[in-house]
Order: sequence, then C-alpha cells, then structure tokens
Amino acid sequence: MRNIAEIYKRELRFYFSTPVAYSVMFIFAAIFGFLFYRNLTYYSNLSYQLMQNPYYAQRIDLIMGVFSPVFSSNSIILLMMIPPISMRLFAEEKKSGTIELLFTYPIKDFQIVIGKWLSAVTVIFCMLVLTLPAPFMAFGFAKNAEWGPVLAGYLGLFLMCLSFLSLGLLISALSENQIVSISVSYGALLGFWFLGWAVDPNSGKMIGKVLGELSIIGHMTNLIKGIIDTKDIVYYVLFIFTTVFLTLRVLESKRWRG
Amino acid sequence: MIKIDRVTKMYGQTVAVRNVSFEVEKGEILGFLGPNGAGKTTMMRIITGFFPPTDGDTFVEGHSVLTEPLEVKKRIGYVPENPSMYTDMRVYEYLRFIGAVKGVPRSKVKESVEKTVEQCALEKVTKRRIGELSKGFRQRVALGQALVNDPPVLVLDEPTSGLDPKQIHEIRGLIKSMAGERTIILSTHILPEVSMTCSKVVIINEGQILAVDSTENIGRNLAQSHQIEMVVEGPPDRIVDRLTQIEGIKRVDNRGSTYIVDLEKEKDLRALIAKKIVENGFGLLEMKSRSMSLEDVFLRLVTEEEGGNS
Ligand SMILES: Nc1ncnc2c1ncn2[C@@H]1O[C@H](COP(=O)(O)OP(=O)(O)OP(=O)(O)O)[C@@H](O)[C@H]1O
Ligand SMILES: [Mg+2]
Repeated sequence: MRNIAEIYKRELRFYFSTPVAYSVMFIFAAIFGFLFYRNLTYYSNLSYQLMQNPYYAQRIDLIMGVFSPVFSSNSIILLMMIPPISMRLFAEEKKSGTIELLFTYPIKDFQIVIGKWLSAVTVIFCMLVLTLPAPFMAFGFAKNAEWGPVLAGYLGLFLMCLSFLSLGLLISALSENQIVSISVSYGALLGFWFLGWAVDPNSGKMIGKVLGELSIIGHMTNLIKGIIDTKDIVYYVLFIFTTVFLTLRVLESKRWRG
Repeated sequence: MIKIDRVTKMYGQTVAVRNVSFEVEKGEILGFLGPNGAGKTTMMRIITGFFPPTDGDTFVEGHSVLTEPLEVKKRIGYVPENPSMYTDMRVYEYLRFIGAVKGVPRSKVKESVEKTVEQCALEKVTKRRIGELSKGFRQRVALGQALVNDPPVLVLDEPTSGLDPKQIHEIRGLIKSMAGERTIILSTHILPEVSMTCSKVVIINEGQILAVDSTENIGRNLAQSHQIEMVVEGPPDRIVDRLTQIEGIKRVDNRGSTYIVDLEKEKDLRALIAKKIVENGFGLLEMKSRSMSLEDVFLRLVTEEEGGNS
C-alpha cells in the first residue's frame, strides 16, 4: 500500500510540475465550455419556441437537449486528450533508463503499475471536475432539472477515459519511444472506436452486434442519456482490468527477454 | 553472503554470461574485472534482480533472486553504470522517495536521508534538481540512493567511470571506508582500481570466469609463470630468433632494446640466457626477473584464453 502511494505521489507531482496536466486540462475545459455554451444557447432558443406549444413543452429536457450531445461530441475530444497523459507512463522510464533502478527496488510490478495508473486517473478526474461549472450554470436556468442523469453521463465519460488510459498504459509499456507510444495509442483508440461503425448493428448480422459491443464509445450511448446499464459498466471494468493485466504481463515478459 | 550459482544469461541467441559461479563473503570487496562486453553489467543486473538469469540462480543471505526477489532487493543497494534518476526531482526529495520505496520505516526516513546526505557529502545540493547536477554529484546521489536504506550489500557498476581524478579518489575512499561493514561487488575495467580497493577479484571475459582469487594471490600465482626483462644491445631480429631457440622460452616480446621473455615453467633460465646472449656476441646490459603487475595478469589472462580458443 505504501509503495503504491509513494509511486502515485511521485508520478502525480511529475504531472503537475510540468505543463502536461495543466495544458491538457485547460484545453479540455475550454473545448467543453465552448461546446456546452453553443448547445445551451441553441437549446434555449429552441425551447423558448417550443414552450409555446403545450405538447412539446412536456418533452423537452436538458439531458436530451444539451448534456447528451455535449458529452457525445466530447468523447472524441477526450480520445485526443488521454494519450498525451498516458504515453509517458512507461515509455519515458525506459527511454531515460530510470526503470533500471526502479526494477531493483523491493517493490512489486503491480504496485508500480497501479501507482502510475492512479496518478493518471487523478489527472483525468481533475480534468472532468473542471467542467462541472457548466452543469451548475445550466441548472441555475432550469430549476426542475435532475442531477442523476448528468452524473450518469459523467460516469460514462470517466469510465471511457479510464479505458483510453489503460490502453495507453499498455502501449506505453510496449514502447520506449513516446512519439511511437502516442501514435500507436491514437491508432488503437480510433480502431476501437470505428469497431462500432464497421458493420451496421441494425443489419441483423451477428458480427455487427459483436463488433458494436466491443466499441469503447458505443457503451457510452446509454450512460450519456442518463441510463445506467450494468452491461456497459461491466464492459468498461473488464476492458480496464484486461489492459492493466496485460501491461503487467508485458513488463514481466520484457524482463525475461532482457 | 552472496552466492552466484552457475548463472547463464542469453540475449536471444547471444550468450552474455556463461555458467558463472562464485561467492562473496561478508565484508569483502569483490572486484569484478573484465574488458568491454565481458558481461559485467549483465551479471550485476542479475544479482540485483533487474532481470532473471536464463539458467542458474543467485543468492543473498540465502535468499534466491528467483523465488524471493523482494528479500534479495531489500538487501542490495545498486549503482548502475550510467545511473539514470528522476531528473525533475530535488536531491532531498528523491532520497526521501527512494527511502520510502525501499521500505525504511516512516519514522526513520528523515533520519536515514540526513545520514545519507552526510555520508555522500551532498549537503550543498539537497535542494537542487538532479538534472542540474554535475556528473560527480550525480554519481554521489546515485550512491546515496543505494545507501539510503542501509543495505548490507552494495553492487556498483563501474562507479568511477567518467569522473575526474579528484572525484575518483573521493568515491574510492568512500567505498573503502565501507569495507567490513558492507559486502561490496564492484565492476571495473580499470586494473589499478581493483588492486587499490578490492580484497578479492573475479576476472571475466566473454561471459566466462577466468580466475577467482584474492587480489594478492592473483598477482603472485601468475608471477610464478615467470617473466624476465632484459636490455640487450644488438640487432633485434637476430636476438629474438636466438632467444626463441632456447628450450623453455615461450615467447619473446621486443620493444626497442628491451626484451620481455616468457618462460615456460618455473625453471630459472637466467644463467642459460645470459650465456647464449654473450656467446652470440650481443651486449647484455641489464636483466631482471619480473613480478607481474595486475595489469599484466589481466591482459595475459584475456589474451591467453583467446589464444586457447582459436
Ligand atoms: N540488451 C541487450 N541485448 C542484446 N545483447 C546485449 C544486451 N545487453 C548486453 N548485450 C551483450 O552482452 C554482452 C555483455 O554485455 P555487458 O553490458 O554485460 O558487458 P560489460 O562487461 O558490462 O561491458 P562494459 O564494460 O562495456 O560495460 C555484450 O556482448 C553485449 O553486446
Ligand atoms: Mg557494463
């Protein structure tokens, strides 16, 4: 436990002692804010008109009208934001050679992996927390809105980010070049994203269903609508667990090969 | 204290270390001597648990690096050949971090770090970033991270390479001051370093051990193979030719008018050689029996092995 905490603290201090964390957070907050503002103004104009009609007045809501589209367009932004955070985790230590000492300390591989992973999780968490003023503002306008579905959407974004991160961690362990690490991460993440489009899931073909189920972003659709489905949560947890586990195996096998 | 048991390490198809065994007693300073590419770094990385051997095992205080790596790692302080440390960290902060990772109890971390700072003379740089330090200071920080948890074993891979003479002197002094209380394995390709700091020496070449002995013994044993150094006046070609004809002479080396003669066995051929030289009309100016310096031993061991293989 103490070892994990020490690795975690060092990694976190690194993130915040360089511009990495700040720039990623700032850029994301700015984009999120812009998309949110645009959707909100569009929606408020629209709803003003719809309010005139009692039939539509019942159907409009902030989740479907604002949050869901904002979260949805932000998933691609997040896909671009996570690899800069994850690329260095192991690649940098291998390149600079600090891994040589790290591996000779009385500390287990999984403690190193978890410590590093948690530090990046913290950066991602802060990144998402920084966008919270947006829903607070929106709720200031719409008194009857509920937090529940919004938080479900945030949970979806968070789990999706952790999946991106874990895949990035694995790729970082495979490479000692940060540029290779980030490029392959983008490739792999986009690959997982396009899986959902490869075959039309409504075509009734089995393969389309299976590929759709594997898509990282596909599992967001329900969550960002405020619907928490165990299936989606299980998918993310399994995805994260598998990639972190593979990272451990990669470190181990690299060691055996010298 | 430390036992290396038939260790072999392959990188793919290349054999870096082949069937190496030796032991180090408590308090000894062992010099691990070999030319570039001999397998010194590979051996040290196995001992420290950085990577496992392809075959064989190593033990520290009876703990196997294969089955109890954490027990082994707790007991070893390691300074790699080109120590890479987190350049963004400050010296004090770094040592505190390493102390904690190496399991120094929370209440003792501060004390251990301060002791290490004093021991490695780092007082002036505790607040500096490691990346900004000079090579000499960085080497001392590397030594500091090895010592911070007060381990009984130190493994130092070429600890003086790249330092200026004053720094080399300081580091060697520091190493020697720890003799007795710690068991130290030190690799080097600088021969005087071994005779100056080590009590025992293992000579390795192309992954194989050529000799294991105390520093004194190695010089003495090999000296018994006898060399004679002479200064002779006359045409070198003919002198070398005549000398090699004498039975019992293995090899003649010639530099200017100085000749170094390797004798086959422990036979004293000095009288015979002197006679031959005078008979052939050359002028014998000087002749002495040569006890070999460690440097000769080393060169010899390596060249002999190579000759034997081909
Ligand atoms: N990662 C690696 N992959 C493949 N071969 C390697 C690797 N590391 C070392 N070798 C080879 O193994 C042999 C032993 O190398 P090692 O670094 O242990 O030598 P050394 O005695 O430390 O040399 P030096 O004095 O130059 O530091 C060399 O032939 C080297 O080329
Ligand atoms: Mg080396």
